[in-house]
Amino acid sequence: MPIVELQKVRKVYDTKVAVNDISFNIEPGTMFGLLGPNGSGKTSTIRMMIGMTVPDAGSIRLFGQPFTRKNLHRVGFLPEERGLYKKMKVIDQLIFLGQLHGLDAATASKRAHGWCERLGITASIGKKTEELSKGMQQKIQFISTLLHEPELIIMDEPFSGLDPVNATILQDTLVDLRNEGRTVLFSTHRMDQIEKLCDAISLIHNGNLVLSGGMREIKARYPNNRVKIAFEGDASFLSHPSVEEAKNYQGHAEIKLRDGDNGQGLLAAAVGNARISRFEVIEPTLEEIFIEKVGGNVDA
Amino acid sequence: MHKVWLIAKREYLERVRTKAFLFSTILIPVLMGGGIIFEVVTSTQSNSTSHIAVVSQDQRLATDLQAELESSKDTQVFVDVISPPASGTRQELNDELADKSLDGYLWVTPPSQANALPTFAYTPRSTHDKALKATVDSALQTVLLHQRLTHEGMGASDVASLMQPLQVDTTQAGKAADSTSSYVATAILFLLMYFVIMLYGMNVARSIIEEKTSRVFEVLLATIRPEEMMAGKMLGVGSVGLTQVGIWLATALLLTATPVVSSMMGGAAHVSLSGTELVFFVVYFILGFLLYASVAAALGAMTNSEQELQQLNMFLVMPLAACFFAAGLVFSNPNSTFSVVMSLIPFCSPLLMYLRISLQMPPVWQIGLSIALMLATIYAIIWVASRIYRVGILMYGKKPTLPEVLRWLRYS
Repeated sequence: MPIVELQKVRKVYDTKVAVNDISFNIEPGTMFGLLGPNGSGKTSTIRMMIGMTVPDAGSIRLFGQPFTRKNLHRVGFLPEERGLYKKMKVIDQLIFLGQLHGLDAATASKRAHGWCERLGITASIGKKTEELSKGMQQKIQFISTLLHEPELIIMDEPFSGLDPVNATILQDTLVDLRNEGRTVLFSTHRMDQIEKLCDAISLIHNGNLVLSGGMREIKARYPNNRVKIAFEGDASFLSHPSVEEAKNYQGHAEIKLRDGDNGQGLLAAAVGNARISRFEVIEPTLEEIFIEKVGGNVDA
Repeated sequence: MHKVWLIAKREYLERVRTKAFLFSTILIPVLMGGGIIFEVVTSTQSNSTSHIAVVSQDQRLATDLQAELESSKDTQVFVDVISPPASGTRQELNDELADKSLDGYLWVTPPSQANALPTFAYTPRSTHDKALKATVDSALQTVLLHQRLTHEGMGASDVASLMQPLQVDTTQAGKAADSTSSYVATAILFLLMYFVIMLYGMNVARSIIEEKTSRVFEVLLATIRPEEMMAGKMLGVGSVGLTQVGIWLATALLLTATPVVSSMMGGAAHVSLSGTELVFFVVYFILGFLLYASVAAALGAMTNSEQELQQLNMFLVMPLAACFFAAGLVFSNPNSTFSVVMSLIPFCSPLLMYLRISLQMPPVWQIGLSIALMLATIYAIIWVASRIYRVGILMYGKKPTLPEVLRWLRYS
């Protein structure tokens, strides 16, 4: 049974259709990416999932039930706009947010210490929030959504504004949580992030669902018809019958194969003429799939 | 309810722990106490050492004046009698004024004709010492009247009984009421509420705006309802104000309870409240504060910055000020239809129902109804404010127009 089900969900603000009849399911224990450029309706969709706003049409079910506030204790939510009480000490803040999720102070404190250790910010635990760097504050916010050990973790743009090192730490943590059996949903406008992390995705553009499904399955739908070659010597193999289109940049080339060609004939021809240091059949990236789907008018 | 409590506790502790709170809480009573001590010290200095001389050919008049002045209750005066004066007396007295061993002298010049009054000239050391001059004047009046009456042939005991000050007692059916005291208590309640609402009601509004800019609200919305959040903030920030005012009032009560100060106040500013009245004072004050604080919360929900809030803050105290004007009419006729209706309007109840209670106990159902109406209004305002807030925060940016606010109320 899916842990999140959206059925033809629609949300209209004054004049703008923010979410237009979107449907998708999220299976338990998976990492799900909600993907789309800025302003495409990701945040609107997420807000409806946790009951901050109500859909104008369609239905949303969490844990197999229609929305009820009681179920929010099983959800950890990180909003896109981060907010912490500036004057509060980190540990007091975490205990307060933990208590709001129904924990007692002692448990909240214990778990907060554990998480701070895990994310390497133990030194800041007694400091006031305003004394910390932005990345640090983001980690604290991240911890605050996990203290009550939610089954479903929903994060809106969790990695935005983080340096690569910290982004990787949080990504790894999310993978760990997924491996523990929790369901993770996060949104991002950066397609490269989602590719490595997600088991399934939904791609939104201007409020419309463009693409949805398992990562493998989506990739399989698009042909592996491109080849990258790095070579020295004769470039005449670029006119091999398998090649539909080729771009030659001094020593390496990007080639589009004819439909149905697996590139092996081209490889054989290339080896005969030049010294090959790299030959790679490339999967299409999500970004390419996305651009193909929406016709290139992406303003992200 | 547990979450309202958590929010309230956090707001309360965060504010109470600041240095600003500590300073203002301590500083105001210190200034208050310091002022009183200063007053006491300066007044005892000027009062106890008053020393004047009475110069007269008529020794009888001079000693009567001495007796009258020295028996004065308000101030302590030592009087020297010089009778009859010698030729150097005036010079001596002026010298004594100059070296400050004398505060003033009264020179009585005998009448030039029989039956005429003597003339009196008072020379003070400092013309600013109005209190002493007034004491001398009134003593002089009393003594002269006394003398004239005796002169007309009245016996000493008749004169004494005739000049006994008149005592008027005010009583009211059912209770020994002092309506001036009721009015003063209501005026104090009004001032207290006005002050506390202006100061701390605005804090409630500010804390809600602050929550908007810090965006913590969005984090909290995933766990709590907007109305829980509103109620928590209102209670937390409001309690800070009540704590501070409570500390100040307790200090003030302690100070006025000390014998020095109460004797200094001479009983004039004394407001006596019975146990029941005190309970109602506290109940109506707290409910009134919460009511106006919820209005402040609604104002905070509608605005995005302190500047916008400033333009609206008059709406906060206007109803209260209007009630205070109505208080005059209620005072003159506490049981008229007008008074009953006005005192049941939630925004006026705190002042007017309290005034009626202290004048003449209204029927219990009216008191119950006014409290119930106030509680219902507080709830309704919080409900509306939280709707406005929830939608406002999710569609931030521009200032809402009235039709938009009304439309927001329909969103759930």
